[in-house]
Amino acid sequence: MNTKIGKLSSTAFTHLVLAGYTLLAMFPIVLIMINSVKSRDGIFDNPLAFPTSETFSLVGFHKVLAKSPFLHFFQNSLTVTIVSLVLILLFAAMAAWALSEYKFRGNRWLAVYLAFGIMVPIRLGTVSILKLAVALEPFHMGVNTLAILILVYVAQGLPLAVMILSEFMQQIPKELKEAARCDGVGEFKIFFQIILPLIRPAVATVAVFTMVPIWNDLWFPLILAPGEETQTVTLGVQQFIGQYVTDWNAVLASLSLAVLPVLIMYVFASRQLIRGITAGAVK
Amino acid sequence: MAQVSLNNLKKTYDGKQDVLAGINLEITDGEFVVLVGPSGCGKSTLLRMLSGLEEISGGDLVIDGVRCNDLPPAKRGIAMVFQSYALYPHMNVYKNMAFGLKIHGAKKDEIDRRIKHAAAILKIDHLLHRLPRELSGGQRQRVAIGRAIVREPKLFLFDEPLSNLDAALRVQTRLEIAKLHRDLQATIVYVTHDQVEAMTLGDKIVVMHDGKIQQAGTPLALYQQPSNLFVATFIGSPKMNLLEGVVAEASATGVSVTLAGGQVLRTEVDGSKLAAGDRVTVGIRSEHLWENNAGSEQFTGTVNLVEHLGEANFLYVTLANGQDVVVRGDGEREVAIGDTISLSAPAASFHVFNHEGQALQRLKPGNMVAAKRTA
Amino acid sequence: MKRFSFWHVVVFLAPAVLIYTVFSAYPLLDTLRLGFYSTSDTGAQSWSGIANYTKLLTDPQWSDAFWNAMRNNLKFFAIHLCIQNPIGLLLAALLSLKGVKGAKAYQTVIFLPTLLSVVIIGFIWQLILSPLWGVSEKLMGYVGLADYFAPWLGQESSALITLALMSVWQFVGIPMMLIYASLIAIPEEIIEAAVVEGASPWRIFWQIRLPLILPTLGLVTILTFVGNFNAFDLIYSVKGAIAGPNYSTDILGTFFYRTFFGYQSQIGSPTMGATVATTMFIIILGGVAVYTYLIQRKLQRHAF
Repeated sequence: MNTKIGKLSSTAFTHLVLAGYTLLAMFPIVLIMINSVKSRDGIFDNPLAFPTSETFSLVGFHKVLAKSPFLHFFQNSLTVTIVSLVLILLFAAMAAWALSEYKFRGNRWLAVYLAFGIMVPIRLGTVSILKLAVALEPFHMGVNTLAILILVYVAQGLPLAVMILSEFMQQIPKELKEAARCDGVGEFKIFFQIILPLIRPAVATVAVFTMVPIWNDLWFPLILAPGEETQTVTLGVQQFIGQYVTDWNAVLASLSLAVLPVLIMYVFASRQLIRGITAGAVK
Repeated sequence: MAQVSLNNLKKTYDGKQDVLAGINLEITDGEFVVLVGPSGCGKSTLLRMLSGLEEISGGDLVIDGVRCNDLPPAKRGIAMVFQSYALYPHMNVYKNMAFGLKIHGAKKDEIDRRIKHAAAILKIDHLLHRLPRELSGGQRQRVAIGRAIVREPKLFLFDEPLSNLDAALRVQTRLEIAKLHRDLQATIVYVTHDQVEAMTLGDKIVVMHDGKIQQAGTPLALYQQPSNLFVATFIGSPKMNLLEGVVAEASATGVSVTLAGGQVLRTEVDGSKLAAGDRVTVGIRSEHLWENNAGSEQFTGTVNLVEHLGEANFLYVTLANGQDVVVRGDGEREVAIGDTISLSAPAASFHVFNHEGQALQRLKPGNMVAAKRTA
Repeated sequence: MKRFSFWHVVVFLAPAVLIYTVFSAYPLLDTLRLGFYSTSDTGAQSWSGIANYTKLLTDPQWSDAFWNAMRNNLKFFAIHLCIQNPIGLLLAALLSLKGVKGAKAYQTVIFLPTLLSVVIIGFIWQLILSPLWGVSEKLMGYVGLADYFAPWLGQESSALITLALMSVWQFVGIPMMLIYASLIAIPEEIIEAAVVEGASPWRIFWQIRLPLILPTLGLVTILTFVGNFNAFDLIYSVKGAIAGPNYSTDILGTFFYRTFFGYQSQIGSPTMGATVATTMFIIILGGVAVYTYLIQRKLQRHAF
């Protein structure tokens, strides 16, 4: 009997801690969301209440969308993130394939060279990256272009992606490639038609580790592309809030707008995302 | 030293389906009991219920007169050897063996004495300061057994301990476990899916299927008088040959069965509960089908396939009535595929199962080889 | 038979190696080089040896700010190490218990903040802690602690700690997930063996599970270290480049930014910026080296 009571109380403790922390994790985000759809009075009179018919108001969103090209910022962020991700995946997969499949002189050194970038933050090279961006201006890849952001993010994301994909490729059975070679299939065809489709499960893992930091980055947009035309959401929100810091409706609405797309993506992809992290982390 | 009783032991998940439906079993002190059956038969669940890792849903588990249903594993006086050995990867062999003793507050010199003693028995003295990953599979196995021995348990539980070893090592370790049992006079419950392991190790074999005990007994009893069709085909390799038929005549001294094709077979089993016209299955082991005329019952057939084992060969034969049987023949006799051969069997060698698959008592379940020699 | 040619290797490797070299490796090396140059008032750069480093470490005009940032950064890291990782460990340990209902849901929600931008998180907490809005005061009032409320982000003594706790709140999901993954990778039979031997859940955690996940704890520590010594976004978005009040929240990232781009009266200097960046590089590299050669070697990974 005693063991049963003990079990029950330990289960209760477990859920108390987990639920408590879950609440703590959720509270700030929920608080911002519910207050973003309230009138100014509603926000200040009772911040913890859900909007009622009296306090409900979308004025914040109207202001944000009127005063700043929010949708344009989204478009920029989306372009930068997706193009970077595609390039990272493609180039990293190609490099990972060469490094794990072909034994050539300098193979190890090249792998170490690429792996170096996993631990050393690319930010430390900012002084020279800015110099480089200025030099690339004539090629439309200079300061205040999305192209320079993409190039920097690809360089930032490649090392980890190469490592994850290499490990994944080493698990692809040898027989598969050898069967293809026996049939006389060329190396490029093997890569694009056999290997690429096979590494799809690793894409989730790579995507988490590369996409999130790109979408959320403030540093490089601030330094390389601060112009209105090329601002990403993160930078745009930062600038907007700096400007309208006293307009609580607008601030709350802009924060909600910035959180919403990530939230929506998470609702659909969280399962796969978490599985990807757990699987990738065991290595 | 332990006397273990399982009284109507039950396991259900979420109160739904019975995984184990009322297991009754007596284990006497010093007995080596093997639980054997196909995967999913409930044997591992039963073992885990003995260990306390799995809750008991109903019935009583009594060890040495104490009801153990709700006792935690450590208080049951058991030690368990796991399939994967489950050695603690970060502790060396010595610490692996000492861990359980320390928990129970044994003194340092007592721990040391017990470990040295167990290591000597298992010949792992030289490995005491190695980590598990530095050991071979066979050595890990010994350490796992050693970890059980030092606890000096009343009851040893083995969960398929040989299944991760290669074939040669498996035979060797099997012998060592048998020797260990003899030397320690230990009470052991051992789970395996391998009937050879079961036959070679067990004092008592418990054949399980579908969450029920099909039969429990000595290896020889199970082999000579399987109580139903499942046990008959599960024990023995190759599988017992089965022939369908209808009772022509039945009495307490014998049953005559009409096989497909009209041949009438005389069998020496107690047929007092059968009546003419009942459907039955006749069983005959491959080594009891002889390639000469010594037996009283005669068959002819065509050889489809021959497997040479050296000391014997297995002939896959289609009988004249179309039924397939396996015959264990003389290994040095040359038989070609397509040969027609004649077979015979003594009437006493047949097993007969009623329409529910239950076996009838054989009248002379003894040594057929002796019968062959005298014939 | 050689089944691949030189050109196969080149074509597969070229895009990755090229982009990585031009936009990551070269800028880093060039930054190391620039650290040895100084910029004149006209903007011309000339070789000056280790003068920048001497200036950074000893010239009071620079070194005060540098050591202040360094100290703050160490504090920032220490708070993460002592709070984020133990909480992550606790949550992971509870999640990995057998038969915890809703474990996946807990995990999903707790991990969510790590996906949001640091900038957004910074602003959100800034609003919540704002005395103007009064949410925190109100919440503390419910448990009778309203008197203890203070504008933490505005006070020199508490601003850095508050920022660090905001960051802990956001990123606790990462250690939680990594530790959780390594906890569930421990084979069930090993735990069962300990149960059969009579070990209590407490003892199993400290003597079996924890030793087996030490390599993961090491990894989490070094990831935290690199992330903290590279941090910038949170401080910049909440406190601006000045890292107030009175530089009490200044860390190496914000110090680097000000040095490079200048602020108020001081003009930015690319070469001095490069010097700061190089120093950060050496600190991070040092941490990684200590981890790889001392810690990772000792903490053997256990293959199960």
